[in-house]
Amino acid sequence: MPRIKIDHTKCTGCRHCEAACSLNHVANTVNPRRARIRVMRDGNRYYPVIAGPFVDAACTSKQFIVIGDQTYDMCAFCRASCPQKPYFIEAETGIPLKCDFCGIPPSPSCVRWCNTGALELVED
Amino acid sequence: MNGWIGRCLRVNLTDGKHQIEKLDTDLLELYLGGRGLGVKVFTDEVDPNVDPLSPENKLIFCSGPLVGTGAITGASCNVITKSSLSGGLACAKMRGHFGAELKFAGFDMVIIEGQSELPVILSIIDDKVKLVPGLEYWGRSTAETEELFKKNLGDQWMARETYLVSIGPAGEKLLPLANLVNDRFLSVGGAGIGAVMGSKNLKAVAVKGQHSLQVADGSRFVQVINTLINKLNSAPLTSQSMSQWGTTFLVGLCYQKGILPRNNFRSTSQPLKNIGTEALNSAFALRGRGCFACPIACIKKADVKYSAFEGKGMVPTYLAIGTLGFNCGISDLSAIGMMSMLCGEMGLDPVATGGNFATLMELVEKKAVTPEELKIDISFGNADSMIEAIRLISTKKGYAKRLGQGGMAISESFNMPEIFMGVKGLSLAPFDPRAIQGMGLHFATCNYGPHHLYGYTFIDELLNVHENLDPLETQGKASLVKRYQDTSAVVDSLGLCNWPLMGLKFNNYVPMVNSCLGTNYKADDLLSIGERIWNIERIFNMKAGFNMGHDTLPERFFKEPIPDGPAEGQISHVKEMLPEYYQLRGWSEQGEPLQEKLQALGLEE
Repeated sequence: MPRIKIDHTKCTGCRHCEAACSLNHVANTVNPRRARIRVMRDGNRYYPVIAGPFVDAACTSKQFIVIGDQTYDMCAFCRASCPQKPYFIEAETGIPLKCDFCGIPPSPSCVRWCNTGALELVED
Repeated sequence: MNGWIGRCLRVNLTDGKHQIEKLDTDLLELYLGGRGLGVKVFTDEVDPNVDPLSPENKLIFCSGPLVGTGAITGASCNVITKSSLSGGLACAKMRGHFGAELKFAGFDMVIIEGQSELPVILSIIDDKVKLVPGLEYWGRSTAETEELFKKNLGDQWMARETYLVSIGPAGEKLLPLANLVNDRFLSVGGAGIGAVMGSKNLKAVAVKGQHSLQVADGSRFVQVINTLINKLNSAPLTSQSMSQWGTTFLVGLCYQKGILPRNNFRSTSQPLKNIGTEALNSAFALRGRGCFACPIACIKKADVKYSAFEGKGMVPTYLAIGTLGFNCGISDLSAIGMMSMLCGEMGLDPVATGGNFATLMELVEKKAVTPEELKIDISFGNADSMIEAIRLISTKKGYAKRLGQGGMAISESFNMPEIFMGVKGLSLAPFDPRAIQGMGLHFATCNYGPHHLYGYTFIDELLNVHENLDPLETQGKASLVKRYQDTSAVVDSLGLCNWPLMGLKFNNYVPMVNSCLGTNYKADDLLSIGERIWNIERIFNMKAGFNMGHDTLPERFFKEPIPDGPAEGQISHVKEMLPEYYQLRGWSEQGEPLQEKLQALGLEE
């Protein structure tokens, strides 16, 4: 099954993947808020997050991750489009978004435009 | 509309009111957007003789049509105003994500007029335009302002997507060296733009939004960008040098050719240790940062450590290393990194600040003033006192007032104007014009002062990307300078970055522009738009008091040959090249645009 491998150490935070995604899914339109991949930023780090399954309720147990001296909010890494955060939801209709690998066979537009190699299509 | 949003926000700070206007589509065709449109609107609305720090001066933020569409390097927003340092037009290019976010917030252009009584922050978030009281941010550094503003938004998701451009303490104190800073330490131009924003009592502008941008032919656009990314990847400069080290890779090259100035442009060669890319790798752990939609990512961030200080900051760029470092006799990369970071925090322009101190250091060396009188031991190579001085000038307290007036004002106050290395009141970017003649001509004639970002002649003269030219040769340089000046005017107006020109030809941009905007431009059409922009800037500057006499370099470059290094014995030949340049531009011998030229460009009055 193909997956998109994310190497956050290579991400430069240019958000070209967001533009690529929205161009591919909404005809002739660019809007990062309608993209199924978003680049999150925490302090000096960037990490791309790809939209996963939809959940209709927020988690009951909120998690925090500690790496080094910094604490990260698990919500920011989470792939779900949930009521907790305004990501991965089509603004006009409220329909949740999910990554579809840009069709069959998979050729994700975000991977094509990611020039630093932070996103990679792998088979496993 | 394709590319453009088509809306402009006009904010009057005096009465706190704002209105939303539609952009004139005829103007968009003639001036594209970004720098071109901003300059057109500014020159139409503002009197050239206005006092730059008065409420009558305006501040324009303008994003180009390709910004935010995903067009490669389409990220820049131009800031246009009347400079408080030179008195002419000022246009600074803002990198990072602000320009794209301004478009997503629903505006191509923001015009700021008047003067607020109390400090304010202009917040354009999710279609709500408001002026937030800014008293609690006043006096804070740019990084603190950004952090506090985001904290005060109260919603972490909103804070993550909000982008800010702000002034530091230097801008608040109306220091002529002040600039704007966005996305943490990305400096936005020189020419005293920070002081103009400070005089309006505007601490920052914050943007966020959910608007969509339209592209004319999406599938063609995607194809074009795929090929452009491949082209950039196959060019060695953009795929390796720039993405690995940023502009800092120029340091070694310029040093080898004798272009890197030292000690206020009096030498180009000295046993310089610790320079170049290897030293950079050992001094900092580099991490690339990209502006919106940039496949190159030339901005490098790292942890800066210098004596007692530790913090996150930006790795110094070529500009900062050249002006704050070598031109002040300092070659310790961590010290330069520390200075460049301090400049970012305080909202100071590295080029103007470096030029300011180099002038001061030469004054001290020539014994025009003693360190005791200045109350600070400022001299070539003394990094610690310079760091101290950078901290002091942004407070503008007591004796520090005299230290930060700008190079020209300082040299004039000691009756030695000849030692200020600058044109039109602005300090030279770190390229010695005696060793790179085309750049010298560009420095002399540029509407925005001697800055290489408005005419990238070194791409052919030094890096030999498209043409193999000798930097010391004068033949053909006038047309090279004109071509690059027009090119950069177009590229700035589209909202793109000039660095890809190290790997792409200008013609490669054209299909991207056409498929995005739905137009049928040819490369020559775009270049004539660039020429039109260059001419209206020139006309405004002439009305503001500049003439042919200002199209020159400091006397040092004509009289004193380079004493050492690879370009030893060279002087500048700008005076010989100037008539040819005027002729190519279609200007009179006095450098005034002729009526025929203006008619051809559609500018006659």
